[in-house]
Amino acid sequence: MTPGIPTLLILIPALPLTATIVTAVFGRSALKQNSHRPVVLALLGSFVASLMMLAQVRQESEAKPSQMVGWETSVDLWNWAEVPNALNTPPAAHSASVQGIEHGLPAALPFRIDLTLRADALTSIMLAMVTFISLLVAIYASGYMHGDRGYWRFFSYIGLFVFSMTMLVSASNFVLLYVFWEAVGLCSYLLIGFWYEKPEAAAAGKKAFLVNRIGDFGFALALFLMWTTYGTLNFHDAHGIAGILGQTRLADPELYVGGGVATAICLLLMLGACGKSAQFPLHIWLPDAMEGPTPVSALIHAATMVTAGVYMVTRCTPLFMVSPDAQHVVALVGFVTAAIGGVIAMTQTDLKRVLAYSTISQLGYMFLGLGVATLGGITSGMFHLFTHAFFKALLFLGAGSVMHAMGGVVDMRRFGGLRRLMPTTHWTFLFGCLALAGVIPFAGFWSKDAIIAAVQERAHDEPEFLYLYWGALVVAFLTSVYTFRAFFMTFYGSERVPYEAGPNAHESPTSMTVPLTILAACALVVGAYFERTEGFAEFIKLTPSLAYEVVNSKNVEIVSQSHTLVGAISTLVALTGMGLAAFLYLGDESQVALLTRLLMPLYLLSHGKLFFDQIYNVLFVWPLWTLAQASYWIDRVLIDGLVDLVGRIPPKLAALLRPLQTGMVQFYALAMVWGVVILIFTLLTWPTH
Amino acid sequence: MDESALLENYLIVGALLFGTGLVGFFSRRNMIVMFLSAEMMLQGVSVNLVAWGRYHNDWGGQMLVIFILTVAACEAAIALAVVLTLFHKSGSLDIAIWQRMREENQPAYVDRDVSPDYQPDHQWPKLTPSGIEPKPDLEEITHRAHV
Amino acid sequence: MNDVPIVIGSATLLLAAGMWLMLPRGAAAGRSFGTLLVAISLGLFASQVPRLGNWVNDSVFLILAAVAVLSAVATVTFRNPVYSAIWFGLSLLGTAGLFLFQGAQFLGVATIVVYAGAILVTFLFVLMLAQPEGQAFYDRLSWGARLSALTGALVVGVLTLTVVSVFQGPAVEDRPQSPFSKVALDDGILADQHMANLGAQLFSKNLVAVEVAGTLLLVALVGTVAIVAQIHKPAGGRERSHG
Repeated sequence: MTPGIPTLLILIPALPLTATIVTAVFGRSALKQNSHRPVVLALLGSFVASLMMLAQVRQESEAKPSQMVGWETSVDLWNWAEVPNALNTPPAAHSASVQGIEHGLPAALPFRIDLTLRADALTSIMLAMVTFISLLVAIYASGYMHGDRGYWRFFSYIGLFVFSMTMLVSASNFVLLYVFWEAVGLCSYLLIGFWYEKPEAAAAGKKAFLVNRIGDFGFALALFLMWTTYGTLNFHDAHGIAGILGQTRLADPELYVGGGVATAICLLLMLGACGKSAQFPLHIWLPDAMEGPTPVSALIHAATMVTAGVYMVTRCTPLFMVSPDAQHVVALVGFVTAAIGGVIAMTQTDLKRVLAYSTISQLGYMFLGLGVATLGGITSGMFHLFTHAFFKALLFLGAGSVMHAMGGVVDMRRFGGLRRLMPTTHWTFLFGCLALAGVIPFAGFWSKDAIIAAVQERAHDEPEFLYLYWGALVVAFLTSVYTFRAFFMTFYGSERVPYEAGPNAHESPTSMTVPLTILAACALVVGAYFERTEGFAEFIKLTPSLAYEVVNSKNVEIVSQSHTLVGAISTLVALTGMGLAAFLYLGDESQVALLTRLLMPLYLLSHGKLFFDQIYNVLFVWPLWTLAQASYWIDRVLIDGLVDLVGRIPPKLAALLRPLQTGMVQFYALAMVWGVVILIFTLLTWPTH
Repeated sequence: MDESALLENYLIVGALLFGTGLVGFFSRRNMIVMFLSAEMMLQGVSVNLVAWGRYHNDWGGQMLVIFILTVAACEAAIALAVVLTLFHKSGSLDIAIWQRMREENQPAYVDRDVSPDYQPDHQWPKLTPSGIEPKPDLEEITHRAHV
Repeated sequence: MNDVPIVIGSATLLLAAGMWLMLPRGAAAGRSFGTLLVAISLGLFASQVPRLGNWVNDSVFLILAAVAVLSAVATVTFRNPVYSAIWFGLSLLGTAGLFLFQGAQFLGVATIVVYAGAILVTFLFVLMLAQPEGQAFYDRLSWGARLSALTGALVVGVLTLTVVSVFQGPAVEDRPQSPFSKVALDDGILADQHMANLGAQLFSKNLVAVEVAGTLLLVALVGTVAIVAQIHKPAGGRERSHG
């Protein structure tokens, strides 16, 4: 007997949470180096549960009743907050109510937050992806983190992260989404600063947290605006009020408020997504986040958490549909980020940073896809999210494996030619690189190709998108070059091993190579399988937000079916990039030096990471720092001075009384009796009326 | 008997006992005498209570005096213990020694009435020590509870 | 009636002066003169209160009161603390007599037994234990003798004035009168079965207080043992630990 969707939906987050609590409570004293066991077990359970749920959702979605927009179901756990009559004058948009009771709507709307989980195509695919990657990363980390002092702490954080992430993708309310949005941010902060003794790690954690605050501020404002506009924050229809992404509104697109309000909401949401998903101009935290343990980089900063922004924007597609301006901003931000990431990744020498910038760049691709705002664009963006999770996790874990063997060194200039030393890592890393570069038939090819094709298709309606199309191809070329640059620098050339690695650097243990192998297999097949066999786009468009007819009406056909031309071009581009990288880095180093000299300004620009950190320092950090110093001075000198002044009064007063403390007991008794005498005398002689 | 007059008389006797106790408590330097004076004040209060009890035809006054007796017994026990401790520390029953617990930088109370040619009233006879002087216990002398 | 405050005021001042003279003040003389002043002052106080209306009662009361108060004065003024303690015993006897005179038989006896018998003897015991040989200088000196005597006398004066002004106020009908007749008193606290009544009161209405008093005694016992036990600890260590 298989459990139903509600049970599974609760089980998936509950298992990691339980494991977290167990590890946090018993990890230090009892579990110690066995701390990974409860977490891995729980993640395995969650993964199996998500697979079962995926199957059931798929079955239900395809057999959905025809009048339903998409397919969804929700589980109410409990009521979290309720304020009756919170919004008194419902704007026009509220006149939507369930079952068409348009005039019987109450005059005042309650502010009500239920802890509601939802299941639909988008959620189930995200859940399956998140739990699968988490499971593999947890297994990998049990080898990678072995012997670390904070072993149990690491695994309890990982469990907490998976709990938060699964709650984030299954929440059916913007407030819940926000809560777990913050919770994954917290886990990210804790894990970036995992080795908090290292000042760089602590600083990186702080930076990530602060930059995310800017995005979350936007997200919070978006929430406020949505509440005053729509009178609810639920995704689904509940308690007689049409949810923002509920069936009622989706069935009748007129119920979405357009114009400036819509654009404002979308831009604020996008700001939130920019923070979490490291998009320009808030991308600066992600490279620094590589200070955390490598499994964390793979899980949180490549595969799952950073894609929360993509998920959120996808979820809010109906809102973006009423604001073409916001769509353009999303597309533009996505493209600019992709380009920036690609350019900077060209010259970085730190293996993990190359991958981090590549993540930024690929996330930019996803947003570009979402910004296209056709069904093809959005589904391809989600598809890229899906495939990217596999191969980017693979690349990071491969990088971690290299680091593990090299004694923690990540500078690619200090090692090389490791292909004989670490055969498994070499092969799996190659698969990851091919997938990232978008070589057929690897996973990245299918998804990236779909995005580029969607952009090209949109260009039929709006010629401006043609620039983005060419730009995206250039970025694809850059991707291929920097990917293989890193690959060749690490695994080819003369064999060099840094002295930190010790005399016998060797391949990583089985617990690390097995996840690598599994992920490599996924990187090979996952694109083609889901694209060709399962119809990822066909499935994902059964999500209510995407089954919206406006989305469908914009595009006649689903992109994945055609575009041989685009596929051919992008493959060609990828192979050219590979060739260039091979030419530059497999031969002697004179070509690289020559090229560097030729393109010196560009090289400096790229090597300095386009000087974003410096610009932000001058623009924001310095003024704020100066202000803080001034405030500090005011606090220290002025306010503390005042307080000290007040504080000096009691001692002065006390000094007046000090002579009374003579130490003679008799004197004290005498003073007391004099008090009594005076009191009685006053009472006796007090004039009474 | 005139009950009101009786009460009035007793109240004044109580006041006198109390006042005398106060004077003793304030002026005497010997801790034991100070406590005797304090007990005197309690006596004054007891007299008051008994008188009021009679006046009101109520047992409460006598009850309270019984409890005063109890408390006085407790007080005496504790007071004597404290006096003994203080005596052990200073070697004297003089309360003025403990003015060293006064606030910092305060001038000390100095006896001005001591006449330089002070002689004790009686010279007690001194006995010549006799017998064998007991040997000091070395272990007790060198023992240290804390190091 | 208007001279009552004046008489009491002068009695107060005389009492203060007499006590000051009697208190130990180094080698200063004038103690017998002080005694005289105190006696006059006490006489003045006595003159301001009404008599009991029966010469037997009056004389018994006055004798008992004089014993109690004079012994009290002697207690606080004698230089030798041993004498002080013995005078205190006499004062207790006077007080006990006063209790008996009011019909508080149990208290009269208990005061003698508990105070004179137990507490006083303990005091004497400690005195003997702690007294240095010969007379200590601090027994020949007083702290602030003038101020102390004045304060004590002032308290007596204020209290007496209060009592007298209430009981002998200008308006006769305002003066308090005992609401209980002799008969009522004979049925009440002067009844024959004094001890039985007292016991009944003690263990019915005041039972909780009795229990609390018992606990208090126990606590005092434990406290005493704890305090005295510190004496025999070697000095050094504790003080050093306080830094």
